[in-house]
Parts: sequence; structure tokens; C-alpha cells
Amino acid sequence: MRPVKGLPFSEREAPFGYALVLPALLYLTAFIAYPFAMSVYLSVSDAQAGAQKWNFVGTDNYSKVESYDLSGNDFVIASRLTPAEAQALVDTHKDGKVVTSVEGARFKASLEVGGRTVPVFASDTEDSAAYLATTLLNDLDWQVRAKGTEAEVVAHSGDSALALGNFTDRKLLDKARKGDVLIDAHLEVKSIGTGVWQDPNFILAVKNTLKYTFGTELVKLFFGIPCALLLYRKFRGRQLLRGLLVIPWVIPIAISGQAWLWILDSTYSVFNWLLVRGGFITPQNILNFRGDPHLAMASLVVVNVWRGFPFTTIIILAGLTSIPDEIIERSKLDGTNALQRFVYVMAPMVRPILMVSLLFSVVFSFTDFNTIWIITRGGPYDQTQMLATYAYQVGVNAGYLGKGAAISLFLFPIMALTVFGMLQSLRKENM
Amino acid sequence: MADVVLDKVVKKFGEAEVVAGIDLTVRDLEFCILVGPSGCGKTTTLRMIAGLEEVTSGDIRIAGQSVTWTPPRDRDIAMVFQSYALYPHMTVRKNLSFALELHKVARAEIDRRIAEVAQIIGLTPLLDRKPRQLSGGQRQRVAVGAALVRQAGVLLFDEPLSNLDAKLRVHMRTELKRLHQAVKSTMVYVTHDQIEAMTMGDRIVIMNGGRIVQVGTAMEVYDHPTSRFVAGFIGTPPMNFFEGEIGNGSLALQGGVQLPFLREGAKPGRKITFGIRPEHIYLRTRENTGRVPATIEVVEPLGHRTILTARCAAGVLQLEAEAMPGLKPGDAADLFFDLPRAHLFDQATECVL
Repeated sequence: MRPVKGLPFSEREAPFGYALVLPALLYLTAFIAYPFAMSVYLSVSDAQAGAQKWNFVGTDNYSKVESYDLSGNDFVIASRLTPAEAQALVDTHKDGKVVTSVEGARFKASLEVGGRTVPVFASDTEDSAAYLATTLLNDLDWQVRAKGTEAEVVAHSGDSALALGNFTDRKLLDKARKGDVLIDAHLEVKSIGTGVWQDPNFILAVKNTLKYTFGTELVKLFFGIPCALLLYRKFRGRQLLRGLLVIPWVIPIAISGQAWLWILDSTYSVFNWLLVRGGFITPQNILNFRGDPHLAMASLVVVNVWRGFPFTTIIILAGLTSIPDEIIERSKLDGTNALQRFVYVMAPMVRPILMVSLLFSVVFSFTDFNTIWIITRGGPYDQTQMLATYAYQVGVNAGYLGKGAAISLFLFPIMALTVFGMLQSLRKENM
Repeated sequence: MADVVLDKVVKKFGEAEVVAGIDLTVRDLEFCILVGPSGCGKTTTLRMIAGLEEVTSGDIRIAGQSVTWTPPRDRDIAMVFQSYALYPHMTVRKNLSFALELHKVARAEIDRRIAEVAQIIGLTPLLDRKPRQLSGGQRQRVAVGAALVRQAGVLLFDEPLSNLDAKLRVHMRTELKRLHQAVKSTMVYVTHDQIEAMTMGDRIVIMNGGRIVQVGTAMEVYDHPTSRFVAGFIGTPPMNFFEGEIGNGSLALQGGVQLPFLREGAKPGRKITFGIRPEHIYLRTRENTGRVPATIEVVEPLGHRTILTARCAAGVLQLEAEAMPGLKPGDAADLFFDLPRAHLFDQATECVL
């Protein structure tokens, strides 16, 4: 007997299925998998734009500490004083003086103020100990701080802390922390290096991205939920309104961004015009929306929310419409008022769909490049830099491909965790 | 005391009059069935009693109080919906307690009532499940339980059995009837299924075209339909109808069928519709019957009875015969119409003569 022959190739389902999937697979490989692998590769190299040869540098792009800066602030000169004693000490501290003494192989600097001797610093050289002590005595701002009924005298160093030294490794730093600073103070260690983790702009970009993402999500929900509830009601023109609502979402950001640039313009801003006309500000102190760091950040949030909240609204609306009428009616008979109905019945039923919308929205905001690039370019002076724009700035504009790749890859684990967490909570919902 | 009174209640959707001024009194603790074909206004009537639909004109009173403009939550009403309307995110227990919590019933009382209701309708092992983990019949029971636990004065049912399979439906019919005897509530029950209507209710309200056409007990509406509509709507298989004319001491039906006319008082020459139920057509002669020759077309054995479809000169008719009538399609048979139990309707008004 001849074995049973399978269907002819053209009739079989599996090969046809593969054939259909193939273009998607190619697309994913070319535009997702390859760039991702390439970024990983670049992020462990010292690749620069235009360079012929790249070297493997391990995790140096991510984090490479070269030295540590130790700085201190709020040095406690004396504590457990009465407020009067403390005030007297502050008033007379300029009359005090710095004395140094030899202690073993080292020099110790003390302050003699108001009849007390306060040891402050120790150092290998007499000069450096005396220098820090003198700075402490003369340049810092001595203040009385109330502590319950008692008071203490603190030397405060304005906005930037007093630099106490730079150390090439952790051990020297720890030794200095214990041995060199003899006075109670708020000490800060800052690592100096070439990795992105040592880059203050990068840290700022991370903070900005989180602020931007979660800030905008909250505001979107804040506007989206009431809007959805309004559009859920039956009234004339509701279909038209639903259509109009999505306009911000469908206009390309490159176009609406230009409009926003005018709205936020330092000279021609319509907001400023309204504020001046309304008598809230004078023309001399109009707001510089894109020039002030806080306003710039707020402007980005406003543009993102303007663009994104229709999406949130539509999704919530879809969720609301999917609730069967009979359930709403039963809840009315059960005795709910409008608020109870929303809290106990509608919100829990919309929750799964809301999570999906949040998921999308978070991903969009987190990886948003367009809005920021069009409105602020990360400015003023990098204060609104986000991970996406900063990666572009460093990797493409400055040409440090390796570092840029490292920055952009920071997005990945955070995004992966967020998505995983949200999907997990969705699955729990459906159990 | 929770009687429900509808006083000239009208409901219009735009121009369309869905409920055309109905008067109805549902007595306290009565099990009242609203039945009628689709679009007859029975569900709209129920929803107006619940307060889910605004009344265009007229008045609705529950326990003597006008509730026409009272919001649903203040009407002391519980309702079982066709789709059950269980809260999918709440457990069965929470589904039962939700309304009570909103009404600030004490926790101990809530627990007591839930235990009691769960006992009555056999939900105890299901209390901690979510609705999606239940079968159709179980969900249906939860929906009933959620209404019972309220101990509302009036319970409304909107076709609660129509999503169940045939066997379960028969079972729940009996269950609900038993429940009505156990709980102290007035029940208003909407259905399009005349068997449900016949078997379950104390009184049946038959509606058609937004009006009430007849109110009565099952046997009243079955034996004494006041109109051709009721006669045709109630009963399975339906009553057989033939057009005809009253002659002198006889009835002339369409197709030349002549029957003796046994009733006094009707004017000869009057156009009538002759109606006779399938079980009142016999295969053997009896007292006061009229013979009609016919040919058997279809034989449908039901076990205890057999439904025969036959063609006579007046048209096609159905009759119920004993289990084994010994007939097969194509056989000729003489049929005997039980004339005292036949119904005559005026052709123009469709009212019974």
C-alpha cells in the first residue's frame, strides 16, 4: 500500500499561514529587532559618529565613576542652647578665630567662638584644614535653628554645598568622611564620571520623563473621565461632539505643534494677551512659556494632555457604552445615586478597558519625542530634556552613538516593567 | 400592603403610542402576568412601574401612593431583568447585599437575609463566586435572589426565563410559583410565552397594541376569550379559525362546510369567525357535534397525545387526538366539532358573540 499522500502544497494551510505572516516578520526584524540589537551593541561600544573603529567598553557608557566629590552643608556648630545663647553665638561668631593643632601626623582645625572650642576638620596639611575652617567661620551663613524649646547654631552654605574634597576611590572617600570631618554636618557624595548615570542632565531627563508621563496621565484621567461621562449621556449633537473631540488626536503633532509654538510664543502668546487684557499681569512681566523651566515643563504637559485626552475619553466612553443598560437600570432600582452608580458599578466595570488605555497612553508619553522636540527641544538649558530627546541630543547631535544608545536603552527596562505590571493586573481582573 | 394601580397610563415614544391608556389594578400579594406578542407594550408597562421609563400621561400608584414622578430607588421595587443584570465585578454575596448596603440595612440583618434567601433558592455554595463562574440557570437564580433579598413590596420580572433552555425553564417556572407562595411580595411578571402566563399567574393580563384586551385567571381566558385575539393567542396548538356566516339554524363556513347552529339570538346573515380548539375536535361522533370530512396531512405524536393536521373543505386545521389514533398522512377521516365549546366572533369587531 502506498502511504497516504498529504494535500498538495498549494492546498495546505500551514505554508499559506507562514506566507501571510512573513511580511510582518520581515518588518519586525528590520525595524524592531535589528535596531534594538544594534542599540544594545552600540551601548557597549565607544562608537562616535564618523569614527572608523569602535572599541568594546563594557558598561562604561552606562556608568563609569572616575572620582567622588564630597561636599557638606548645614554644619552644626553648637546644639542644646537656649535661643538667647544661640543668637548671641551667631551675633559674635565673626569675632571668633581658627586655631590649628597637630594631632599625630595630621593637623586639626578648630573654631574658637563665643568661649567654646569646636573641632571642625582634620587634614594632612595645615593649610587645607585651616582653609576649610576659615571658610566655615567667615563665608557661611550662621543661623539659629529652633529644636523644640532648645536651639542650635548651624553654618549654612547657600544653594551649593561646601566642597570638602575630591577622592579617586570609595575607600579614601569613606576614610575622609569619618576622619576629616569632625563636625556634625549634612554630607553629600557626588560621583564624577563619564557614564550616563554620572551625567546630571541624564538624571534630570529621567526625572522629567517620569514627571511628564505620570503627570500627563493623571491630568488626562482628570479630564477624560468627566468628559466621557458627559458624552455618555444622551443629547442632541452627541455624535458630532464625539467626532470633534478626536480632532487633537488625529492632527499630526508636527502641525498642531506649530500652532502651539505660536500660542506659547514669548512675544505673541495668546495666553499672555489674555492675561494682560484681563488685567492679571502687566505687559512688562509677561510669561515666557518656553523660557522658564517650570513653565516650559507645564507647557509640554498641556500640549501632551491636549493631544492625548481625547484618546483617554474615547476609550473610557467605549468602556461605559459597553456596560449593559440593564445593569445601570438595576443599579438605579437598587438605590444608587449618580455618584454611587459611578463609583460602585460603572468604574469597576470600565477598569479593565481603562487599564488598556493607560497602558497605551503611558507608552506614548514615556517615549514621546515629537512634542518635546517641537515645543522646547529640551530647553531651556536642558531643563525639559526627556530620555528620548536627550538620547537624540547625545547620540545624534553630539555624535556619541554609544552613550546615546545607552540612554535610550534606559527606557526599555522601565517600560517593560510598567507594561508587565499593567498586563498582570489586567489578567487578575479577568480571572 | 403593596398593590399597584395603573390609571390611564399612556406612553409615547415620539409619535408612536406604545401604551395607549391602560387601567390595571394588581392586588396586594398577587402574582400578575402581563402577556402579549412583541411590541404590545407589556415591557414598557413594567418599566414604567419600575420608574425606568417616564410616563407620558396617567398615574401610577403603589400602596396608595402616587409614584409617577418618584425615582426608581424610592419606589420599594425590585426587578429581575431578562439578561439577569448581575454586577460582573461582584461576588454573588455582594450582588445580593449591594442594594441592602445602599439602604443602610444593618450588617447582621443583611447576613441573615442573604443566608435565608440563599437557602430558599439553593445559592449557598455559590455565594463567593463571581457571576462569570456560574451557569445560565445559576445566574438566573442569583438575579431572583438579589430581588428577593430586598424584601420589596413589589417584585417585577421582565421575561426572566427567556434566556434559559427549555428544560430549565419548566423547572424555574415551578420554582418561581413556589417562591411566590413563600415570599410576601406583589409580583408583576412580563412574558411573551403564553404557557408561562397560563401556568404561573394568579391573573393574566393580555395586552395587544398597547391596550389590555382581557384580564382573568388562566381558565377564564382560556375558556372564555372575549376576543378573537385572545382566543388565538392563548393555547397551544392555537385555536382553529374559519370565516363563515350565520344561516337559519345553521352555520355556513367557508368552502361550503355546514354546521348545525345551536345558539339562540344571533341574526341570520351575520358575518362571523368560527373558532374551535384542537382538543374540541374529535375523531368519533359525540353529542352535539358537527361532522366535517377531512384528509389527514401531518401526524405529530407527543406521547400522551397526538397532534393531527388535517385539511377540510373550510381549510387546514389542527386537532388533538389520543396517543394512537391509527391514522397516517393521506387518510380520509371524519372530524366532529364539539359545537357547544366552539367560539363565535364578529368578523368586523373581532369580539365574541
